[in-house]
Amino acid sequence: MGNYFSSMFDRLWGANKELRILILGLDGAGKTTILYRLQIGEVVTTKPTIGFNVETLSYKNLKLNVWDLGGQTSIRPYWRCYYADTAAVIFVVDSTDKDRMNTASQELHLMLQEEELQDAALLVFANKQDQPGALSASEVSKELNLVELKDRSWSIVASSAIKGEGITEGLDWLIDVIKDEQL
Amino acid sequence: MAPLDKKIKKFLKNSIRIAPKISDKGELAELRTGLVSQYPQTRKDAIKQTIKQMTLGKDVSTLFPDVLKNIATNDIEQKKLVYLYVMNYAETHPELCILVVNTFVTDAQDPNPLIRCMAIRTMSMIRVDKILEYIETPLRKTLQDDNPYVRKTAVICVAKLFQVNKILCIELGVLEDLSYSLSDENPMVIANAIASLNEIYSLDETAVKLPELISRHVDKFLNALNECTEWARITILTALSEYQAKDTMDANNIITRVKAHLQHVNPAVVLATIKVIIKNMNYMDAGQQTELIQKKISSALVSLMSTPPELQYVALKNIRIILEKYPEILTKELRIFYIKFNDPLYVKLEKVEILIRLVDPSNLKQCTLLLNELKEYSMEFEPEFVSRCILGLSQLGIKYSNEKFIQKVLDILIELVESGQNSINDGCCIAMCNLLRHCPTNASMSKSICSLLNSWSSPVTLLQQDSAKCNYIWLMGEYPQYFSTLGDKINEFVENFTGESTLTQTSLLITVVKLHNTLEGSVLQNVLELATHETSEVDVRDMAMIYWRCLSIDDSSALVSQLCNLHAPVIDSTIDKFTPEVLEKLLGQLGTISSIYFTPMDDSMRKKLQHQNIIKGKHLDELQDLAKNELENKTNDDILLDFDSESVNTAANQTQNNNLLGDLDDLFDFGTSSSTTNGNSSTGSAAEGISQLSLGNNNSDKTSGTADSNTQDLLNLF
Ligand SMILES: Nc1nc2c(ncn2[C@@H]2O[C@H](COP(=O)(O)OP(=O)(O)OP(=O)(O)O)[C@@H](O)[C@H]2O)c(=O)[nH]1
Ligand SMILES: [Mg+2]
Repeated sequence: MGNYFSSMFDRLWGANKELRILILGLDGAGKTTILYRLQIGEVVTTKPTIGFNVETLSYKNLKLNVWDLGGQTSIRPYWRCYYADTAAVIFVVDSTDKDRMNTASQELHLMLQEEELQDAALLVFANKQDQPGALSASEVSKELNLVELKDRSWSIVASSAIKGEGITEGLDWLIDVIKDEQL
Repeated sequence: MAPLDKKIKKFLKNSIRIAPKISDKGELAELRTGLVSQYPQTRKDAIKQTIKQMTLGKDVSTLFPDVLKNIATNDIEQKKLVYLYVMNYAETHPELCILVVNTFVTDAQDPNPLIRCMAIRTMSMIRVDKILEYIETPLRKTLQDDNPYVRKTAVICVAKLFQVNKILCIELGVLEDLSYSLSDENPMVIANAIASLNEIYSLDETAVKLPELISRHVDKFLNALNECTEWARITILTALSEYQAKDTMDANNIITRVKAHLQHVNPAVVLATIKVIIKNMNYMDAGQQTELIQKKISSALVSLMSTPPELQYVALKNIRIILEKYPEILTKELRIFYIKFNDPLYVKLEKVEILIRLVDPSNLKQCTLLLNELKEYSMEFEPEFVSRCILGLSQLGIKYSNEKFIQKVLDILIELVESGQNSINDGCCIAMCNLLRHCPTNASMSKSICSLLNSWSSPVTLLQQDSAKCNYIWLMGEYPQYFSTLGDKINEFVENFTGESTLTQTSLLITVVKLHNTLEGSVLQNVLELATHETSEVDVRDMAMIYWRCLSIDDSSALVSQLCNLHAPVIDSTIDKFTPEVLEKLLGQLGTISSIYFTPMDDSMRKKLQHQNIIKGKHLDELQDLAKNELENKTNDDILLDFDSESVNTAANQTQNNNLLGDLDDLFDFGTSSSTTNGNSSTGSAAEGISQLSLGNNNSDKTSGTADSNTQDLLNLF
């Protein structure tokens, strides 16, 4: 019953719906930096996130409800608590952290198997491109086995949160996809 | 889109409530759906619902992540609700708290001071190491916050942090920040800083130099006093009462500045103020002192007597302490302590204590007035009150110490006994014996008392209390010539020997030995045997063995007759007193719980009372173990504490008891064993026993460290 009403309202006021977006990734990948780069357009000094940050931002006439979750091993198990009603996942990878590409890949695929995320779009940021020795977007894509993904809109974008490069491009793509799928 | 349109949309969205889905997954699933709903009102309702379940005692901790998602909101009410939830589970489910830390840190910088407070307060309450690492920045920031409300919360948090992790707290250096808060411009912050420092000091005296800090900030405190709430005032006054004035001027200054608070409506403020004044009064010369005491403090105390009974009771207890140090206080105010018919029993009893102490023994008029009052009270119906008044009569007689007056008291007592109420016989018997102990040479008095008591056909059944029986038996031993049926009465007591308590048994033993020449031969043998074989009281048994040995030594007649002719010392007062050390300590703790129990809290005890339970791990079973250990420790602590208080209680008695045993050694050359090798255990238990008995005799409250009551003197005879 409730669902019926709510979906009716959704259709009525569709344009005004808040979209839930999760930013995930291993610790130190640059998630929090990206979130605040998006919100206030600046680089903030961060501390490892124990828990989460959440901000609401308007982007292209859309209201985005962006959740940045901590990436430390002890916090990863709690990611799943935030999957419900998620429109898209932004997965951030530290492109210089070659040793942990494998771990990142595992976490990514594990997450995407979740029932609740079946309809969510995926945007991967190959972050920290400003650093020497950073893997390129296609190299990261290979490490993460992205080609294996079926039935999902996904994209990978090279970025540098510090310099502010790639972030808007990535988000533009994401919004386009979500608009198509959700509305 | 038109703005109006938008507004309507927003309004609709915010106020819409979706009826929770009826699902077969049960209540929790329902709540969860509500918590993650996209409609704010529905979410809020779900939070409320969750908290309702929580307060009902249901475990809703599995909803933690979902509830927590709602913490990011501008709606203060909702935020508060979530914090409430978090605080509740933070203690039991610390492992979940890693999801909140970031929020705490962010909220501690929120523009809204209420939120800053909530964040820092909650954060410092969570006993998880992981969180503590993050507390530094927020705690420092809030300690320096612009808003006093935030600062006053932050200073308390320092103490909490100290309790959870002392080392971290010292490392962070927030203790220094806390000390600076003593000079804050806001009195509430100052008061909380004192409270916080007190707490820390009681946990570890080396962590903060509290006394030094107090003495550096005395002026600041005195200024703050006038502009803060009453509880803050009490904290500040208490801190001031710990400060030792440098000189007369200093003391004078303090007294002048705090004096005004003697008129405060809150009795706790009044008592705290009195405490400060008394502390500084030693610097005054006698003239100034009397002026202060009689005018200022007296009238403050008098005003306390117009409070509700519970507060009156506290006031009375405190007055008793003050009275002992300054007996001249309130002497003109005897009347306000007269009993009112509607006073509750506990107030009545306490008032009698004050009346007896307050009455001026050089003022016949006053004494006579009080005598008449007490006489009237003795005819009331509450047994406990009546027996206290009867004892009070004898105390008054002994205090005034004049034959004629004592005769008047005695007449009242005799009249009471003759009125035929059985319940008062105990009290009257004790009171009369006390009077006799005060003037043992007054033949007419002893005669009239004995003939009255002799007329009781069966004192064993008539008297109820151990101490009353003890006194009765003592009387027979002291004045056997006035008891016509002495043998029968003693026999009756002997028959009942095993059923009696220590005092009666001891007294009976002493009396029978004393009278063994007048009594039938078999009685002595009988009692000695009963006392060595049939009693569980170690002291009685030991005493009986010593007697037995004495009596069986060849040519012991000189020793025995010496023993039989000993008399109990004359008593000058039957009013309990504190020992000087206890009194001094109690004066420093006026208005605290110690002043009610008359048991000063000593510092080591205070430390034990602070339980530090630090939860470092994250696993539930680990926590359960912790909890178990904690429980065990607590019980151990309890035992330790009990023992402590016992030793405080009996300290005074113990010395006396040692003397007693020492005397015995001298008498019999019995080897030093009884006081040395037997050592602590036997003296300890003896002292304990006696202290309990003397309590029974007082029939009212535990007065630790007070002088021994007279019944015990009876036993000290030998
Ligand atoms: N050079 C460079 N450094 C970056 C970039 N993005 C983030 N960093 C740095 O990486 C460090 C970690 O960034 P965060 O945003 O805190 O990382 P996170 O993913 O939020 O980490 P957790 O909260 O622990 O999960 C910070 O010192 C950032 O300044 C980038 O694009 N280039
Ligand atoms: Mg982060």
